[in-house]
Order: sequence, then C-alpha cells, then structure tokens
Amino acid sequence: MGSGKTDTKAVTMRLASAVAVLVLALILAACGDDTVGGGGNGGDVTTAEAGPAKGDLTISNWPGYIDPGKEGTEAEFEAESGVGVDYIEDVNENEGFFGKLQPQLEQGESGGRSIFVVTDWMAKQMYDLGYLQEIDHEDLPTVFSNLLPTLESPAFDPERKFSVPWQSGMGGVWVDTAKAPDIRSVNDLFDPKYKGRVTMLAELRETVPLVMLAEGVDPVVASNEDWLNAVDRIQKAADSGQIRRFTGNDYTEDLTAGNIVAAIGWSGDASLIENEDAEWRMPAEGCSLWSDNMVIPVGAPNTAAALAWMDFVYQPGVAADITEYVEYISPVEGVKDILRGRGSELAESQLTFPTAQFTEDCTDQDSPPDIEPVNEAWQEVITG
Amino acid sequence: MRLRQHLVPYWLLGPGLLWLVVFFVVPMYFMGELALRSGTLTVGYSFDWAWSNFPDSLSGHTEQIGRSFVYAGTATVLALLIAYPLAYAIAFRAGRFKLLLLFAVIAPFFTTYLIRTIAWKTILSDSSPVVEVLQALALVPPDGRVLATSGAVIAGLTYNFLPFMILPLYANLERLDLRLVEAAKDLYSSSRQAFLRVTLPLTMPGIVAGVLLTFIPAFGDYINAQLLGGTQQSMVGNVIQSLYLNQRDYPEAAALSFLMMALILAVVVVYIRFAGTGAFMGDEEPEEARA
Amino acid sequence: MAALGRTWAWLRRNALPLYAGLAVAYMLVPIVVIAVFSFGDTPRDRLTFGLDDGFTLEYWREAFALPQLNEALFTSLRLAALSTVVSTAIGTLMALALVRHRFFGRRGANLLIVVPMATPEVVIGAALLSMFIFYSFALGFTTLLIAHVMFSISFVVVVVRSRLIGFDRNLEEAAADLGATPLTAFRTVTLPLLAPGILAAALLAFALSIDDFVISNFNSGTTVTFPLYVYGVSLRGIPVQVNVLATMLFAVTVLAVVLVLWQQRRAERMASMRPEPIPAPPASATT
Repeated sequence: MGSGKTDTKAVTMRLASAVAVLVLALILAACGDDTVGGGGNGGDVTTAEAGPAKGDLTISNWPGYIDPGKEGTEAEFEAESGVGVDYIEDVNENEGFFGKLQPQLEQGESGGRSIFVVTDWMAKQMYDLGYLQEIDHEDLPTVFSNLLPTLESPAFDPERKFSVPWQSGMGGVWVDTAKAPDIRSVNDLFDPKYKGRVTMLAELRETVPLVMLAEGVDPVVASNEDWLNAVDRIQKAADSGQIRRFTGNDYTEDLTAGNIVAAIGWSGDASLIENEDAEWRMPAEGCSLWSDNMVIPVGAPNTAAALAWMDFVYQPGVAADITEYVEYISPVEGVKDILRGRGSELAESQLTFPTAQFTEDCTDQDSPPDIEPVNEAWQEVITG
Repeated sequence: MRLRQHLVPYWLLGPGLLWLVVFFVVPMYFMGELALRSGTLTVGYSFDWAWSNFPDSLSGHTEQIGRSFVYAGTATVLALLIAYPLAYAIAFRAGRFKLLLLFAVIAPFFTTYLIRTIAWKTILSDSSPVVEVLQALALVPPDGRVLATSGAVIAGLTYNFLPFMILPLYANLERLDLRLVEAAKDLYSSSRQAFLRVTLPLTMPGIVAGVLLTFIPAFGDYINAQLLGGTQQSMVGNVIQSLYLNQRDYPEAAALSFLMMALILAVVVVYIRFAGTGAFMGDEEPEEARA
Repeated sequence: MAALGRTWAWLRRNALPLYAGLAVAYMLVPIVVIAVFSFGDTPRDRLTFGLDDGFTLEYWREAFALPQLNEALFTSLRLAALSTVVSTAIGTLMALALVRHRFFGRRGANLLIVVPMATPEVVIGAALLSMFIFYSFALGFTTLLIAHVMFSISFVVVVVRSRLIGFDRNLEEAAADLGATPLTAFRTVTLPLLAPGILAAALLAFALSIDDFVISNFNSGTTVTFPLYVYGVSLRGIPVQVNVLATMLFAVTVLAVVLVLWQQRRAERMASMRPEPIPAPPASATT
C-alpha cells in the first residue's frame, strides 16, 4: 500500500517515538536521587523511645505463633493497655520478608510496623544494615528479669542491644519410626537405602550446619571451606536423587502422606504432622538451636507501645499461654512450673523444655564467614 | 470531523496505554537501570554500565531455561488438546448451561493456587489410590512416584493454566458460523476435512491467543516446581526468585529477567508469523483501511 | 451384538458432551478434595490432609470464626471486583482500537501489551514496589489495585482481540444504514455481539486478581489478601476454615449462576404461557 517514501518515513517516526518514550521514562526516573538498593541506611542508630503506651501497634510475626482468639495474648494486651493491636502474620520466611521490606527500610520506613519477629541471623543482618533501633534494658524490666540465662548473651547480639527472644526451637530430624527406625543421625539421611525418601530444609542456616555437625565440624568456628564442603556433599546427594526435595514447612505434608521416611525439621511441628509413627529426634551429633526475636525497626511509629508489648509477653502467665499453644521453647523463666501446674504434657517434654544436657551438643545458627560464595553455591543446590 | 475520526483510536487506547506506561514501563526502566549496576546489599549497588551482568546471569542457568521451555511447552500443548474440545462443547452443545460451565471452569481459581496445588499433592501422594492405579496401568514404574518428578510439574502447570486456554478459545469459537461447516459438508467433505479446512483456520486467532496466554506465564512460573517438583525440576522462575530474595543479587536478577523477557518475545513473534495471524500482532492492514 | 453397535453409536453421537463432562470433572477434582477435607477433624484445627481423626461439622459451624481470614477473603473479593471492572473496560477499548484502526504507534502498542505477560512476577512486583517507594506512595489497597489492573489489562486485550478479529462489520454498516449513530450502533450491535468475549475476559481478569500472590506480596503493605493469608498460614498449618470458606465460595458462585439460569427459564416459560394476544404496537413506536 504505501510507497517507498512513506515506509521510510513510517520507520523513522517509529524509531523516533520509541526513543521519545525512553527519554520520557528516563526523565521521570531521574527525578530523584541515586539511592537504589543497599548500602545500608546511613543514619545514626537510634534507641527506641519509651513512654506511656497508647495508640495503635502493628506487629509482623510468623503465622501460628501466638495463642489466638478472644482470650489470647493479643486481646489480653489490648484490654490491659488500651493499645489497639494490628497483628499481621506476614513473616513467611526471613528472606522473603526482608526482600519485601528492604526498599522501605533503606529509606528509614517500616511500612507502619513497630515490631518484627525474625530469626537470629536475620536480626543481625538488619542491624548491621542500620535497619533496627536499639533497645534500652531499663525500658524492659520484666524482660530482663525473666529472660532465661542461656539466652542472655547470644553470639549474634551479645549485649541484647536490639533483639528480644520470642520463642526458640531446635532443628533436628523427624523420623517415621515405623518405616525407618534406625535413623538417628543426619548422616543416616545419606544412606542409599532411603534414596528419594528424605527431605532437607531449603534454609541454608538450618541444613548446612547440621550436616557440618554430622561431619564433626563445629559450625560456629567453621571456615568457609567447611561450609562449601558440606554444601558440596548435599549437592551430590541432590543430584543423585537421594534427597527428594528441599522444603519449607511443607515437609510436614510429606510426612503425613507417607511420601518420605525422614526430614530435617523443627521440634515444634508435632501438631502439623498426622502420622502416629513420626517423632522428632535429636541427631546423635547435636541439633541446631535458633530463636525468633522481636526487633524494633527504624521508622517504627509507636515504639512506646512496642516496648510495652515486649514487657507484657514476658510475664510468666502470658508466656505460658503462648507456649502452650505454639509448642515451641519459651524464653521466659517460670513457664515450665506454670504449665506443670496446669497439667500440661508439654511441661515434661524435652522438646519444649529441653535440659542443658539434652542440648549440650547443639549449635547456634550462624552465618558463614563470607556469605556470598556459600549462598551462591547453596542456591545452585536448591534450584537444581 | 476528519480530525476527530483520526483521534478516535487514541482516545480508546489512551487510558490503557497511560496505565501501562506509568505502572509498567517506568518500573521496568528502574529494573533495567538496576541490571546495569553491580554491588551487594551491604555496600550498595552502584551504576557502572555492568553489561557483564547479562551473560553472567545466563551462565549456570541454561539448564533451568531449557527446562522451562520444555515444561511450559508441553503443558501448553496438553492444555490445548484438553481445552479445545471442551471450549467447543461449551460454545455449541451447552445450550443454556453455557454460563454455568464457564463458571465451573473458573471457580477452582477462587480457592487460591496454593490450596489447589496442595490438593493435587494429596491426590498424587505416593500411597494414594490414584498413583496405585497409574502403577497398575504401567504409566508409572512399580516403585516409582508421581510427585517430585517432571511429570508432576507439567501436570500442575497444565491444570493451573487450563482456564487461560479455555477462555480465549471459547471467546473465539463462539463466534464460529456453523453454517460454513455445513456448507463444507454439503460440498462432500468429510467431518474431518471440514474441521481441518474450515473450523481450524477460522479459530486460529483463538488458538494463538490461548497458546500465548498459557505459554508465557507458564514459562515464568515457579510455584508448581517448588511444590510438586523435586531437586531436579527447577525452572527459570525459581532461579530469579532465589536471585532476588535469597541471594539479594538484584542486578543479576534484573538482567536474567530481561533476557527471559526478550527470549519469550522472540518466541512469540516467531510463533505468530508461523501461525499466520499477522492481524494478531498488528501486521495485517486493519479493517478501517480495508473498508 | 446389536446392543454393542447401538452403544457404540450412542457413544459416537455423544462423544463431545461426554468428553466435556469428563474435562469439567477433571477441573473440579481439587475442589472435591478440598471440600472433603473441610469435614475432617484435626487435633489442632489445622489441615493435615489426613483423615485419621474422623469427620466433623465443627469447622462448618465455625466457618467465620477467624476474623483475619474473613477480612482477607473480603479484601480479595473487593479487590478482584474492582480490578475486573477497570481492567475489562480499559482492555476492551484498547482491543477495539488495535484491531479496527490504523494509527501511528500501533505496532508499539501491540508490543506493549504482550511484554507485561512475559515478565516474571517477581520482577514486576519488585519493580512496582521500588517505584512506589521512590515516589513515597503509601502501600496498601490502592497500590494493590493499581498492580492488579496493570497485569490484567494485557490478558483482557488478548482475549477480546481474538474475538474481534474477523468480526462482521456488515452488521454495523447495516445499523448505520438504518440511521443509527456510531455510538448507538456500538451499543446495540457491537457490544452485544462482543459480550461473550468480554465476559470471558472479565472472568479471566477476576481469576487473575483473586489468585495473585507474588505481585500482591510485594505491594500490599500491611493489607492482607486471601492468597497472602493462605500462604502465610500454610507454613504453620492451614486452618480448616480456609477449606470451608473456599468450598463455600465455590458453592455460592455456582448456586448464583444456577439461580440466574432458573430465573431465565421461568421468565421464558411465563412469557410463552401468556393467554392474551400481545397488543399491536402504536404506530409511532420505533422497532
């Protein structure tokens, strides 16, 4: 239809307009400064301000981590303090949550939240990037008088400057005792007779330290090479089909359905597994110990209420309510006696009140000395 | 009056185009700029024309890209084979139950992806009767499993994207004038010939639309591989997810995303040329000019 | 022998409806599973997809006992409804422009439609988030709506366009010949004929919105949608009420459609039973 001249003109016009759109987009985007991505929040570290608790409090926590309902902790706190609590269960995984909030934290905002609950290493990472506020111990009398001595000085936050434990747990091995009664160590997961019937957690800091322990290496002092060696061993097992998949919390489904005989998993998940033969076992070489911690982010709108909440949940009675529902390890002293008084089975369970002897070989969750190459190698394993 | 006539397409396009430019092109520009940066989370990402991010992001991930192609392609073909007769039946044999059937096709989506996939996991678990039947039929090796295999991922993709195939097919099929098929038969063609030479070509736009709407999102999917697959079934979507969220390597994630987009677009353009419906991508003369 | 022949013939005649029935059954399989397990008793009110503890109606009785779940579901429904209306309207207009008019920038616009579909959701979600933060735009329902409309437009355009191609323009010309203005012709001829395509596109847009997880996750702020809620609780145990509400939602939708159909049928039957003859229209009435 068109003549040669019209075609050339059409093409030129098209090119010109494409360039125009791009320039427009460039201008729009350039109307702002160059801070993209990380580099940390350059500001000074602030301390969370205390004060009379009032107003609204928004908390981000993991799902199923608090006793719910009209008689739950949240309702109790609201009644006692007059603070309106907006409790959101949007911490599905440390990394996903971090990825979602990082752009805002970089700008000093927390998206309206005054408390997050994240695992040890993530709390440290956030603090190192300047995304958290510090906590003055004097503002939290109940917390620091009731905190279990074993949790007072963890490696990632020796002075408890920015974190207050919420619940702790142990990473070990869930075993279907009817089908694989002999599994007592992480090394057993590599036994070819269980090929394709074993899963491991996709979280780097859960699985690899356990494998390192099984090899006799102490994860806390391990070198990067130790980490990489363990990752390599797991990679080979994944490639050969020994490991069926890398899971999040959904290993519980596989155990219930009978798809697997063993999984690396968490001590508090008994209520999610409908399989009478399944039991959590402390690996022969030791387990991994972790805590999820309450932290106060930068830009938190209501630090006074946040501090009041932290103090509130450290009252033994309240802490007992939480632990009774959640079935993980409470950081508060005196909870065991209260639960015993209520006749709860949990009081005698090693899973919720482990003795020092039970966990003597256990290791804290830690990050490798140089995270980048280890993380990269690990992601290669996870994504096949 | 002539001027107004010329402006009509711009008025029609305006709102949509504006929305897409502001809420897609501009963010994509941000992403593009990010792809040319280098750095880490701790030190920040500085802009230094890091073109190397593009080839770097490909290296080590070619397996996943190839796999995504195979999985998405297979799922698309399967979906087409399943959906075409179904769309045909809804368009021509359903009578007053058309609406009901269409809703029945969409309604599973109200239960969210995750729950549907978990339901399938339950149905396909190693000890379920369904798997036993499949083993008896020798479709699955006697001590084999369905979950954590490529088959499970493809089945999941097919199922989850089936409505994306059915709806465009239906929209197009419904318009088919059956009298044309009758006319072909009057001219002594068999049912099969009538289908191949009349129905199929006329419904090509619907097929093209369905294939695109299924293949493209399936290629970038990651949830099916995550829930139904094992250690050897990861797709490109999983890689990008991991790069962005776990490794925090935003530049490489952005670079790989752009490469993926370019790849898909190339495939789309080739496919449309091949399928002969240039009108779809605007290559044919539009009706206004032909009138 | 003859019976076999007759059966075979019957099968051949009804092959298509039979197949359709099977296909629809296949699509509904997960729904059945979900419904079944909504009646399963579990020790801690969390789904385990195991039936060892027997059946119960407890969760149906307490279907609305979880305020967060209810709120999340309601938010998702509202979001999906709004997103569907906006994106279908915008998308249909775009499809009309792209198929029927020749104008500068047509190729570019066509490309712009396809590209969002080709972009991985993580990237769209993260990119949008970056942009919202950059311009200090508060995250919440509004940003969710913006995002949902954005990714739905492409799908709507593709579906409507596949119906528009080859559309018989003679009908509109005929309307024009009978004195209709372009707008009237559009309203009374084009739109009704396009309706199945628009409906299909709207259904797709609705499904996309109500099911979206990745993009919503990045841009929701503290707002919780149904998929976000489910994904969250799936890590520590999905409350059985999720299955209950999902089944309810499905049942209500199907029921609503059945009601509409039944109403239609009643109206038809009533109309055909009218005893008096319909009076002749007055001379001045338009057809």
